[in-house]
Amino acid sequence: MIEVNNLKKEYFEGETTTKALRGVTFSIKKGEFVSIMGPSGSGKSTLLHVLSFLDRPTGGTYEFENKSIDKMSDQELAQVRNKDMGFVFQSFNLLSRLSVHDNVEIPLLYSDIPPNKRLKLIEEAVHAVGLEEKLHTEAGRLSGGQKQRVAIARALVTDPNVIFADEPTGNLDSESGLQVMEILESLNDKGRTVILVTHETQTAEFANRIIRIKDGMVESDKKIIPNRIHRGNLK
Amino acid sequence: MLFKDAFKTSTRSLMHGKMRSILTMLGIVIGIASVIILMSIGQSAQDLILGQVQSVGSNLIIITPGAPNNGKFSSPASAQGIVITSLQQRDVDSISREPSVNEAASFVSGIAEVVFGNNNKTVSYQGVTSNMFSVRNLTLGKGFVFTKGDVDSGNHVVVIGPDLANTLFGTTLSPIDKTIRVKNVSFRVVGVLSKGGVGAFGVDQGNIVIMPITVAQKQLLGISYLNVILAQANPTYDINFAKSRITFALRQNHGITDPNKDDFNIQTQADILAILGTITSIFTLFLAAIASISLIVGGIGIMNIMLVSVTERTREIGLRKAVGATNGDILQQFLIESVLLTFTGGAIGIAIGGGVVGLIYIVLKNFSSIGWVFAFPISSVILGLLVSGIAGIAFGIYPAYQAGKKNPIDALRYE
Repeated sequence: MIEVNNLKKEYFEGETTTKALRGVTFSIKKGEFVSIMGPSGSGKSTLLHVLSFLDRPTGGTYEFENKSIDKMSDQELAQVRNKDMGFVFQSFNLLSRLSVHDNVEIPLLYSDIPPNKRLKLIEEAVHAVGLEEKLHTEAGRLSGGQKQRVAIARALVTDPNVIFADEPTGNLDSESGLQVMEILESLNDKGRTVILVTHETQTAEFANRIIRIKDGMVESDKKIIPNRIHRGNLK
Repeated sequence: MLFKDAFKTSTRSLMHGKMRSILTMLGIVIGIASVIILMSIGQSAQDLILGQVQSVGSNLIIITPGAPNNGKFSSPASAQGIVITSLQQRDVDSISREPSVNEAASFVSGIAEVVFGNNNKTVSYQGVTSNMFSVRNLTLGKGFVFTKGDVDSGNHVVVIGPDLANTLFGTTLSPIDKTIRVKNVSFRVVGVLSKGGVGAFGVDQGNIVIMPITVAQKQLLGISYLNVILAQANPTYDINFAKSRITFALRQNHGITDPNKDDFNIQTQADILAILGTITSIFTLFLAAIASISLIVGGIGIMNIMLVSVTERTREIGLRKAVGATNGDILQQFLIESVLLTFTGGAIGIAIGGGVVGLIYIVLKNFSSIGWVFAFPISSVILGLLVSGIAGIAFGIYPAYQAGKKNPIDALRYE
C-alpha cells in the first residue's frame, strides 16, 4: 500500500538547508497499525506529512497504492486525501463554531458524495466514536476527548483506507487518550490501516509495528505484539 | 465542491461575524447609494431641462443673426455683444410664405425697469409679433393676448409674467387694465401668463414683459432689425426640409451665394435638444464618476477585511485542504464571501438611494417652485448591482487567491 524508497525532504531557508529526512526506506501493507516514534526534531512529523500527501518529498520515491506522488498534480493529491485518507491532529482542528454534524460533514463537501446521502454517513461516523447525543452540539462546547473523537469521526466519514494520526493523545488526559486509542484500535481491527506518530511509548505500543526515526533516518523497524497491558497504565 | 455547498459555507462564515460583515458592507452601501442618488439627480435635471426646451414648442426652428459656428465651440455673436442687423421684417415675411412653414414670429428683447405705483422690478422685455404666443405654446392665466391689430398700429399693451404680476400688484389686485411703466413708457396690461418655469433663451418666464414688436423696436430700442425669428414648421413636411427652404429664402434676401458666408444661423429644436442632451449626459456621468470614488474606497475596505479574514482563518484553510479541498475550492469560498458582501451592500445601497431620491422629489415638489421630475433610472439599478458584483470579484480575488495558494502544512501549523 505504501512504498517509500530513499525518501528525502530538505527545507531551504535562505542560505541554510535543513535536512528533515535523509533517505527513509520502508513499506507498509494494508491493515497494518504502525507507530512512528522519535524524539522531537527527528523528522517523524515531516515523514507523516509526506506520507499523507500534505507535503511533497524533495528526493527518493513514494508510491501510494502503486501511484507515484511525483506524477500527481496538487488536485489529484487533494482527491486522494479526500477519498483514501483520514486525518487526526494533535490539536483537533475542529471549527469550534460549527456543530459536530457540520464538522464531520467538511470532507464530504469536497467529495463527490451527493448531499442526500451525507446525513447517513455522518451519523454512522459519529456513532462509531460514540457521540450520537452530541450531533448538534457546537464543537467548541465539547471536552478535549470528545473533540478528538469528533476529529476521528471526521476522518472516518469518507470511509478511507488509511488513517493518519499525529500525536492524537498529545493534548488529552490519560483516560480520554485511552478512549481515542481504543477507537483507533477498533478501526484497525476492521481492516483499516492506521499510521500513528507519537513520542509516548505506551501509545506507540497499541500498534503492531514501530518504526523509530532519528536524525531523519530509520533507526529501527520492528514488528511487535500490541502491548495491551499498558492500558492499565494509561488509565 | 458544489456551488450550493460553497454558498452555504460562505454565508455561514459571514453570519458568524455579523457586525464585521455589516461594517464591511457599509462602504459599498454608501458608494452605491451615492452613485444611484447622483445618477438620478442628473437624470432628473436632464429631464427637467429637456422638458422645458420641448415646452417652447414642437417643430420650432430658431433663426438668429450671425454666422453659424459650424461645430466650433463659441458663443453666438449676439451674446458676445456684437450687434448684427442682418435679420429684417422682410425675412419674416419670406419665411411665412414658405408652404413648409406654418407661421413665423419675430422678437426683439432688452432689459428695463418696470414700475407700478411704488413697486418696481428690473426684468427682460420682449417685443413680439402676435403669433409668438401660439408659436411658443405660451398660455395665459388671466386676460387676453394682444392682436395683430395691436402690433400693426403700435398699441401700448403688454402681457406680463405671473411672478412680475405678483411683485407689482400683490395677490389681491387684478393686473388687467392697469397701466404700468416700462422704461418710462406707459403700457396697459391685457394679460398674465400662466405659471411656467424657465422659458426659452434662459429668460425667466415668470418675470417677463411681452409687448408688440413695433412698440419695442421704435419706442424702447430705436432699432429696425430683429434679434430672433421663430418659425413653426408645417408638420406635414420634414423639419429639415423646412430648414433648407428657410436657408434658401434668407440667402436670396441677403444676396448670399457662398454658403460659407451665411450671416444667419438656423437651429431646430432637435439640434438644441441634442446639444443639451450631450451636455446633461456628461454632467450625469461626471456626478457618477465622483460618486464612484466612494465605491472604490468601499471596495478597498472589503479587500482589507478579506485579507484579515484569510489570515485569521489560516488553520481552517489548512484543515479544509488536508481533508480534500483544492486551491480552487478555497478560492471559490472566499470569492463568494466577498461577492456576497458587495452584492448585499449594493442591494441595500440601491434601496437607500431610491429612498433618498424619492425624498428629494417629495421635498422639492412641495417646498420649491422647481418643476422637479422624479427619475429613478432602471439603468442605474442594473449598473449598481453589476458594479457591486464586479467590485466583489475585483477586490475579493486577491485575498481569495492568497487563501487558495496556502500550503496545507504551513496553514495547519499556523498559530
